[in-house]
Amino acid sequence: MNTDAIIVTGLYNTQEETLAAVEKIQEKGFEVTEVHSPIPSNALAQALDRKKSRIGWFTLTGGLIGFFSGFALPVFTSTRWNLIVSGKPILSWIPFFVIAFEFTILFAVLGNVVGIVTQVGLPDPDYEKNYDPECSGSLYGIEVASPPENADSLRDLLDETGSLKKQRETK
Amino acid sequence: MTSMDTAFTEPSAPFNKSVFFIPALIAGGGFLFFILLAATGHPEKAWLVYLTNFMFFTVLSCGGLLFSTLMHFTKARWSHTFAAVAEAFSAFFPVSFVLFALLFIGQNYVFPWVGQDLHGKEVWLNVPFLFARDSGAFLILYSLGFGYLYHSLKFRLKTAPQNTRLKIFLFKRFEQSLHDPETIKRRMTVFAGWYMFAFAMCLSLIGFDLVMSADPHWYSTLFGAYTFIKAIYAGFGALILLVSLLHLNPKVPFTLTPAQLADMSTLFFGFSIVWGDFFYSQFVVIWYGNIPEESAYIVERTMTHPWSILAWTVFLCCFILPFIILLSRKIKQSPRCMIVISSCVLAGLWIEHFLLLGPSFLAHDPAVFPIGISELIISLGFLGLFSLSILAYFKELPETLKTNSGEGVQWK
Repeated sequence: MNTDAIIVTGLYNTQEETLAAVEKIQEKGFEVTEVHSPIPSNALAQALDRKKSRIGWFTLTGGLIGFFSGFALPVFTSTRWNLIVSGKPILSWIPFFVIAFEFTILFAVLGNVVGIVTQVGLPDPDYEKNYDPECSGSLYGIEVASPPENADSLRDLLDETGSLKKQRETK
Repeated sequence: MTSMDTAFTEPSAPFNKSVFFIPALIAGGGFLFFILLAATGHPEKAWLVYLTNFMFFTVLSCGGLLFSTLMHFTKARWSHTFAAVAEAFSAFFPVSFVLFALLFIGQNYVFPWVGQDLHGKEVWLNVPFLFARDSGAFLILYSLGFGYLYHSLKFRLKTAPQNTRLKIFLFKRFEQSLHDPETIKRRMTVFAGWYMFAFAMCLSLIGFDLVMSADPHWYSTLFGAYTFIKAIYAGFGALILLVSLLHLNPKVPFTLTPAQLADMSTLFFGFSIVWGDFFYSQFVVIWYGNIPEESAYIVERTMTHPWSILAWTVFLCCFILPFIILLSRKIKQSPRCMIVISSCVLAGLWIEHFLLLGPSFLAHDPAVFPIGISELIISLGFLGLFSLSILAYFKELPETLKTNSGEGVQWK
């Protein structure tokens, strides 16, 4: 993207309008840099030709590490003392499962956070610059980059595709 | 008239008379085999399979309808296609009630506690009181289910032709009580709420009375909750199986998108964890307490041959396999894969019912595997009966399969 380019964010009411707009904007040769959606949408991911997210693998790896560490911790601590409690075996796998379960959740969440930080590029201090809070409510936002000289034709194009009058513009 | 409308109104539509033939034959064969087995020296075996199947298919149908009520109550929009099919499970309610009444004939075999010294539990565990309260519970649950269905059909049959006796009867009733859509939706919400409440209460009672009481000296406080959670899991599994079969049948004008099936399968995946949680919650408390009167029940079913094989099969089919396999989104989007997985879970839940009841009915013999050809034949008979009910529903009311039927459509 050209460093002098300006970003115009068009806002749309429905997913169908947004999908049609993305197609039309790309057809006209403009670069769609980001689409904000209030709901997860496979259709939008497909339209933007995005690669499948790898965050799930981070979460799964974290969960697996957690599951086995969750068993390893009580096994390690129990075998340090070898105390028999209520006639139960030293290595009681059934109650150890509770700790394994909790560790699975904890490490899966941590794995997820690592995935978001490394894959999505968050936290990004500039993220909110082009972001309209209504994209967390009911509207869809398409960020389009354009050289300053084509800005007028881009604005017209956005109007034409059904973008709401309220548009954001930043450098 | 569009091609889809033609398919629905023509008598040669997918649910013509010929599709009833095979299930009817299987159901009849199963019934005859049951009578034969009960009359020729193995009544306890015959009634064990009867009770297992009665419980299995009853919780399946109750759980199936629960999906529709739950989705309506939470105002979910994604699930309209599934809700229409889920309502078909209510067609088994009358059959289930008759099957329950027939248990009365086999009371000496169905209830191993008859004639035992129950140490004061006779006040609760006696045949007349049991039948009175359980019949009441079924009547309440099924009436609320039909109440919900009746109002839902007002939307689903909006554009239907009056070409069957059932539809003519329903339309007459609808005309007598014309209401605006908002009123009908409000009534559906009331029925849905009460159905879900009755579902939890009645299935808990049925679980205590018909399954837990098979070993009258064993008790688990969580057994009721475990029963209705299992019913939801089984109902959702059966629903996925049915919608996938309908989707793959080119003669039926019913289609699913991969995203819809994936969402439904994710919910199913969630309930595999809930089922595992309830199973574990019961198990760990008994394991910790280690009181002989509680642990004997578990030891017999999980540590002695041949029941231990069934116990591990149940754990594998109902938790381990669905948990690992359903992590994949691709599999969740494929109707064929989901048919295999939901069948595996349903088979696991059937075995689980058999495992809970079996040791109380049959003499312990490590050399004999408890599930044989006679158990399978009678169970197939019940499956035939269940399929007949669903087919009859779709034959009478094929409009319910139409995309966009239901409350989302504007009522004129």
